[in-house]
Amino acid sequence: MRDKVSRRTIFAFIGPAVVALAAIGIVPLLYAGWTSLHFFNLTKLKKVKFIGLENYWDVLTDEVFWQAMGRTFFLLGTALPLQIGLGMVIALVLHQPGLTVLKTLARLSLVLPMATTYAVVGLLGQVMFNQKFGVVNQLMGGADINWIGDSTNAFAMIIFWDVWQWTPFVALVLLAGLTMVPDEVEEAARLETKSRWTVLRFVQLPFLLPGLVAVLILRTADTLKLFDMVFTLTRGGPGASTEFISLMIQRVGFRGFDQGLASAQAIILLIITIFLAQIYIRVFYKEV
Amino acid sequence: MKLRTFLASTALTATLATGALADGHGWSLKDAAAPYAGTTVDVVFLLRPGYEAIEAMLPAFEEETGIKINIIKHPYENALGEQVRDFVAGGDLDVALIDLVWIGNFAENDWILPLADVQAKFPDTVDPELDIDDFFPLVLNAFGGWNDTIYGLPVDNYSGLLFYNRCMLEDAGFDGPPATWADLKDVYGPALTGDGKYAYALQSKRNETQSADSFARMIWPFGGSFLDADFKSNLLSEESQAGLQFRQDLMQYMPDGVVAYDHAETVNGFAQGDIAMITEWSAFYSTVVSPDTSAVADCVEIAPEPTGPAGRKPALGGFSMAVASQADEAEQAAAYLFIQWATSKANAREYLERGGVPARQSVYMEDGLEDFKFVPALVESWQDGVPEFRPRFAEWPEITEIVQEWGTKMMLGEVTTEEGAMEIGERMEAVLEEAGYYSGEKPLAQ
Repeated sequence: MRDKVSRRTIFAFIGPAVVALAAIGIVPLLYAGWTSLHFFNLTKLKKVKFIGLENYWDVLTDEVFWQAMGRTFFLLGTALPLQIGLGMVIALVLHQPGLTVLKTLARLSLVLPMATTYAVVGLLGQVMFNQKFGVVNQLMGGADINWIGDSTNAFAMIIFWDVWQWTPFVALVLLAGLTMVPDEVEEAARLETKSRWTVLRFVQLPFLLPGLVAVLILRTADTLKLFDMVFTLTRGGPGASTEFISLMIQRVGFRGFDQGLASAQAIILLIITIFLAQIYIRVFYKEV
Repeated sequence: MKLRTFLASTALTATLATGALADGHGWSLKDAAAPYAGTTVDVVFLLRPGYEAIEAMLPAFEEETGIKINIIKHPYENALGEQVRDFVAGGDLDVALIDLVWIGNFAENDWILPLADVQAKFPDTVDPELDIDDFFPLVLNAFGGWNDTIYGLPVDNYSGLLFYNRCMLEDAGFDGPPATWADLKDVYGPALTGDGKYAYALQSKRNETQSADSFARMIWPFGGSFLDADFKSNLLSEESQAGLQFRQDLMQYMPDGVVAYDHAETVNGFAQGDIAMITEWSAFYSTVVSPDTSAVADCVEIAPEPTGPAGRKPALGGFSMAVASQADEAEQAAAYLFIQWATSKANAREYLERGGVPARQSVYMEDGLEDFKFVPALVESWQDGVPEFRPRFAEWPEITEIVQEWGTKMMLGEVTTEEGAMEIGERMEAVLEEAGYYSGEKPLAQ
């Protein structure tokens, strides 16, 4: 088959996609690499100069950067297990036989949080968690909880919204994995044991692993670049309590206008993301 | 820039303007704009009452001149970034909207043209009635001037004012607002706080609100400042620390979570009758006195900000509009005509009545301003303001981020005022050193 298709045809089909990807993804990345090696401040363009790895050194020795990174991983470490746990429960419930119409409705409704724009989620949060007028405090019996102005509560609020928005995604991915289990294998397993845990652990889980790895990689990358929702909800505050790594990079690059330093931060973040993705694939991923 | 230097610069500009138009008796906006009819001027506006006022007045300008004004609206927090990116990229903006702390940045990058240069380049556009001396000197100096040169004409100008709820104060036994910050805390604070009501709220959200409205507002009346004469941090001085500690002590009479309050939350809290006093920009006057947006419209009174041990040092804020150097010649001329018209003496009254705050002295001498209760306090504040309330140099965008972070940490009690001031001071000095202030590369000007 391959012999019958000319190289020109192959290039004609693949070429535009490669060019588009290069223009959208590779060129900006190269440009970021270039700026990261320069003193490059938008308001001081007359002073642009090559400074080698100085920006990288500044980033790696900046405790504020690592504090923001720590905060980001703490968010990942708390929100992601919750999303996987809740997503698994939802997927298993929807995988049960019967109640077809209700399950279809449930699947459709799962899409809604994902379809909501990040920035809108943040604005919703501002209204719903308003200390005086917010519906959350009203639902808690007229509680007087200061959600947005308290460091701990603000962080908890971010975790809540991230779990709300992305648990459905995890549930749908895992549900897709469950449908991959051959019916006869699952039925045979259920005849062998009444333990749902045993069926899940030894029969269903192997089919869930590819999806789970995809969830780990995508959610890790998403959390590391989480910006819109937090920016509109808390803007990184109060203090620095919700200043995650992406907010810090935006602050340095677009409010302090130091594009060189921000590019170095972004490239270090990219390296960390790729490294984590590799770990996930090596540790968890297995072909079924 | 000192007042004397400013006056000299102003006189020079005025002389140039009047000299160029010695025979300009027949000047009219329509004739001056005729060569530029059909030109589109791109300008950034903020989502604030002062800009809605100009927008409402615009049809008259566009009809008379044939110049189209294309308004790009941004919230304040986005306005600097959007403009910087536009100017760096050689974009479409023909008018720069400049906060007083941005002008060093814009001028040093040559993104804006000196007013005198524009007037010399397009002498036929200069209105003989421009009367630049009619602007409040402090306002023109702070908002439109940089390094002895006037770039922009002031528009949407603010002074910090004390908005107070007369009804709440009377119910608590007070017949007027506090004269000093100490009274506000020690006398009015305990009497007006309780049952879900608060004596005072200081907007302190982690953005420019924290550095301008909260942090700076508390250091100046106590004799403090950001920098000393050598451009070293002055935040650990006894006076600055007194102001910052006062802010901490005053928080017991503010709503919980005030550290997350922006202007909207503060003004709304006051307008709903939950907060007895706020110190806010004059621009929010129309919001709190309108029955549509305020439940306490009949109770609102305005006074100058209280005094501290160093006197009355009210917050100073506001903008100027300047002609962008990246615009082509027709756009520059049209932009100048628009700026001149929007800030003109002739339009100041209408601008005021539509919710704007003009910087023209003459309008505040007119009769019939009784409905604008903020006018006496505003005029008094503009006699006494501090131009460098926030340092006006090009490095402010970096420094304000530092102040925002550590200022909110202080308020949250995560660091003491000394620890926070030390952190801000060290980081601020690092920025200034990098910029070349300590090596003599740049003059110690703000």
